[in-house]
Amino acid sequence: MKKLPIILLAAFAGLTACEDKIDLDIAPGKSFPVLDAWITNEAGLQKIRFTMSVPYTDNNPAPIINDAKITLYDETAGKSYPFAFKDNMYSYDASAAPIGIQGHAYKLHVEYKGEIFEASDTIKRVPAIDSISYKFKTDEESISGKEGYYATMHAKDIEGGPVDYYWIRSYRNDTLRRLEDNFSIDGSYDEGVSDGATFILPLAEGITNYEKPFQKNEKIIVKLFSITHRSHDFLTQVQAQVDAGGLFAKVLENVKTNVKNTTPSGKIKILGWFGASSVSRRERTVK
Amino acid sequence: MLMSLLVIILAAHSTMAQQQRYTVSGYVKDKQNGESLVGISIGKPGTAVGTVTNQYGFYSLTLPAGEHELQFSFMGYAPFKTTVNLNTNKTLDVKLESSSSQLNEVTISGQKQERSVNTLNTSINRLDIAQMKKMPTFMGEVDVLRSIQTLPGVTTVGEGAAGFNVRGGNSDENLILLDEAPVYNSTHMLGFFSVFNPDAVKSLNLIKGGFPAEYGGRASSVLDIRMKDGNNQQFNVNGGIGNIFSRLSVEGPLVKDKSSFIVAARRSYIDVLMKPFVKGDMKDTKLNFYDLTAKANYKFNQNNTLFLSGYFGRDVFGIGKDVNMNWGNSTATIRWNHVFTNRLFLNLTTYYSKYDYSLNFSNGNKKQADEELQGYKWTSNIINYGLKPSFTYYINSGSSLHFGVQGIYYTFKPGTGTGTEGEKERVKVLTDKHALESAVYLDHEWKPTKKFGIQYGGRLSAYQLIGKGTAYYYNDTTPGIRKRLTGTETFDANKLIKGYYYFEPRLSARYALNDHHAVKVAYSRTTQFMHQLSNTASPTPLDIWTPSTNNIKPMVADQYTAGYFYNAPNDSYEFSAEVFYKKTDNQLDYIDNANLQLNQYIEADLLPSEGRAYGLELYAKKDIGKTTGWISYTLSRTERKTPGISLDEWFVNRYDRTHNVNLVLTHTFTKRTSLSANWVYASGTPGTYADNRMEFQDWDIPYNSTEKRNNYRLPAFHRLDLSFTLKGKQLKRWKGEWVFSLYNVYGRRNAYSIYFKQNEDDPNKREAVRLSIIGSIIPGITYNFKF
Repeated sequence: MKKLPIILLAAFAGLTACEDKIDLDIAPGKSFPVLDAWITNEAGLQKIRFTMSVPYTDNNPAPIINDAKITLYDETAGKSYPFAFKDNMYSYDASAAPIGIQGHAYKLHVEYKGEIFEASDTIKRVPAIDSISYKFKTDEESISGKEGYYATMHAKDIEGGPVDYYWIRSYRNDTLRRLEDNFSIDGSYDEGVSDGATFILPLAEGITNYEKPFQKNEKIIVKLFSITHRSHDFLTQVQAQVDAGGLFAKVLENVKTNVKNTTPSGKIKILGWFGASSVSRRERTVK
Repeated sequence: MLMSLLVIILAAHSTMAQQQRYTVSGYVKDKQNGESLVGISIGKPGTAVGTVTNQYGFYSLTLPAGEHELQFSFMGYAPFKTTVNLNTNKTLDVKLESSSSQLNEVTISGQKQERSVNTLNTSINRLDIAQMKKMPTFMGEVDVLRSIQTLPGVTTVGEGAAGFNVRGGNSDENLILLDEAPVYNSTHMLGFFSVFNPDAVKSLNLIKGGFPAEYGGRASSVLDIRMKDGNNQQFNVNGGIGNIFSRLSVEGPLVKDKSSFIVAARRSYIDVLMKPFVKGDMKDTKLNFYDLTAKANYKFNQNNTLFLSGYFGRDVFGIGKDVNMNWGNSTATIRWNHVFTNRLFLNLTTYYSKYDYSLNFSNGNKKQADEELQGYKWTSNIINYGLKPSFTYYINSGSSLHFGVQGIYYTFKPGTGTGTEGEKERVKVLTDKHALESAVYLDHEWKPTKKFGIQYGGRLSAYQLIGKGTAYYYNDTTPGIRKRLTGTETFDANKLIKGYYYFEPRLSARYALNDHHAVKVAYSRTTQFMHQLSNTASPTPLDIWTPSTNNIKPMVADQYTAGYFYNAPNDSYEFSAEVFYKKTDNQLDYIDNANLQLNQYIEADLLPSEGRAYGLELYAKKDIGKTTGWISYTLSRTERKTPGISLDEWFVNRYDRTHNVNLVLTHTFTKRTSLSANWVYASGTPGTYADNRMEFQDWDIPYNSTEKRNNYRLPAFHRLDLSFTLKGKQLKRWKGEWVFSLYNVYGRRNAYSIYFKQNEDDPNKREAVRLSIIGSIIPGITYNFKF
């Protein structure tokens, strides 16, 4: 949750530590369907993945589930959007008009193996990313000892109104692969201390991978997502589980799901999450 | 109830006192430095009549009128024999002369002393500083907490982890006392070094079970660390220069024989040494700790002695100029020893103890003129004030009463967050909490015959959460899910919010088969009202302590112990075997994704669990000869059951170690050279492994489909440490020694944890990763001096 202090402590403790890849003999577990659904107000293709979980160290991609029927309902506007299966995913082409609208409530409806699953989320407000700046640091100047460009995102929390929750994801050159993820409440880590404030330094400067800073001619891309409180809880739990190293790591726990089986006496359990966001995007090429 | 018991005991004993009896009492001290000597046996040779000095070096022995030969003896001291003619009550202060030339410090000739075969209590380990100094060290530094980890029944979750675990208890279940003031964070540098400066420590007692009624407030153990009084005969300077930090202490008389002081300080200097090598953003990196320990005493007269002691320590960690974290303890103790009559002794302790931390970052130091000041600060603290008058009444030889009261007032500031932007400052304050913990206790130590002895009594504990404060009410529906707030209620200052009251029976008994064999049993109940909230692999300095509330019930532990003790005829070695069974209620656990930091509604994320632990501890120790040391073996299990976690089934705790072996050996080659070795073996700690991964938004999320916690075990832990001591030639007063140490001699990468992640270079590859906190051999050199 409050990631920063833990990162600092881990850095402190990491002075003598070392990590080795090891082989473990783990009994194969039960495989579950996993819903990966995040819709936004962005134009273009909106995608949903539906896969099966696999043993952790299995390096094959997760098997795709292709026989589900997925429909998104805009409950505020009373509209529905069918997501068709194509190219290993379920998608809806929102090129003409975005399906995500700030303030609207959404429900995802999934039919799978004769059972029905539902999940809901709401699209909240998001501020613009005002700019991205960067600074060159030599290996001697940088904390990580890596030479390159270290970027800062400049944005301000929206003042007043309800508490705002954000997800900041950065990319290098294209959005195919994530670079860094950070989560924020009102521009800091806590409600009540930063309403309307500029995003605090660890968040603003958290868009660079310190082990591999940006290089000349690389494009820095940052997306700022508005998320609901529940999605914030879920995503921070995901992050704690994905970054589970170090002296003060969280012990392994299973992340929650918001996908409910609404079939009376339904038997199938689906993992994963359905989230909905407004997105601000900004990019800048290092010159 | 306790008072009526007291009356009965006193009445019973006065009827027994047929013949005229008188009392001889006094203090026993070390002749060379005036330090009071604890646990000295005072006895009539050839009889069972005798006593021992208490924690403050005081003794009282009541005998029939007439002439008595008395012998005072203690390991490492020349025995002192005297004859007293008891025709009236007498005061007899004794100074024992240490038999230690440099050599004898390590090869001690056999003398009768407080052997565990002779004492009433089970499950107590005593170490004095001389023993700790002989053990191999981490980076050449003598360490109190590392040395107790070699004792049976004591484990740790891993290298560098803060805290220790006693008989399957959590690390917050240890009451750590420094001159009777509780210490909340016992380590520097997150767990690598303990906060206690060895130059200022005299001895420690670790009590793992069969707790005397005097102690309360924690469920699993009491680590009672006593500071040196300071040399009241002559000035001494002690110091050490090592590769991590340096120590310096000064002690000496303020008024010879009456008053003395000790001041001891340490400072680490990795960051100072690093400074020339770091540039840029790392330039102002801070990584250091320091502590100051001081004590003074003044003996007003035979019956009144006053002690003042204090500790202040701090860890500082900062990255560049932006980020600054620091945390530390401070304690202050005032103690008054008063002898009312030569049979009634009082120790009155008042103390103050504080633990606080602060986390701060700001662009103030590097911002451009056109940028706005931006900062974020987060602080938290716990403060307590304690008062503890404890009395000992010596009824007659072999019978004494210990009784007293205790009061502790706590205030908690769980967290204050401050955000700064330009001129604007926003503050979020979590409500303060206040609590009062009080107790009255009594126990009777009675040795009616040479063979049989018993200590029985109890402790009435009261705990009150009081205003000014807020009580939160939650509905308790599905376990394992965050509870929903249903209401709050605010309370005015000193108004009772919630109270808990307990009676804690305590019992220890000993039966000696003969001079060399004894069996002992003990039962004790302990309660705990303070809880450290931590759901990471090891507690962090930022994990807050929180008091019991209407939602957090106090923890209660019942422990049963039985043991066999053997002491070889010539005292050449001793052996003990103990078994224990411990049952606990209301140990805290956490819901998944619990938010423990800066959270007003923290109680909604806590779960009570039921615990059980049991085990066998074997211990053999050799004190005499060129080779000395001990070996301990513990076979144990510690488990818990928490509704909403691990399918509601029993699961092993994170700190469970099935087997644990410790071997500590010192061999003295010559007067000037010795070699020490320490070998540890411990079964791997349990861990939860992922058997699945979920692909979600470009993440591979580990998932455990069995939903069972701690379902696997890490590889076993083992490590060998060596240290070689070379003493310098004795020059007038200057004594110097070099200590060369090797930690983790065969460079084993012991697993601290195992976790699952995507490969950094190729995210499509997933791997299990072993994290070793110490992954190589670590050498250390220290030069210690004394003059």
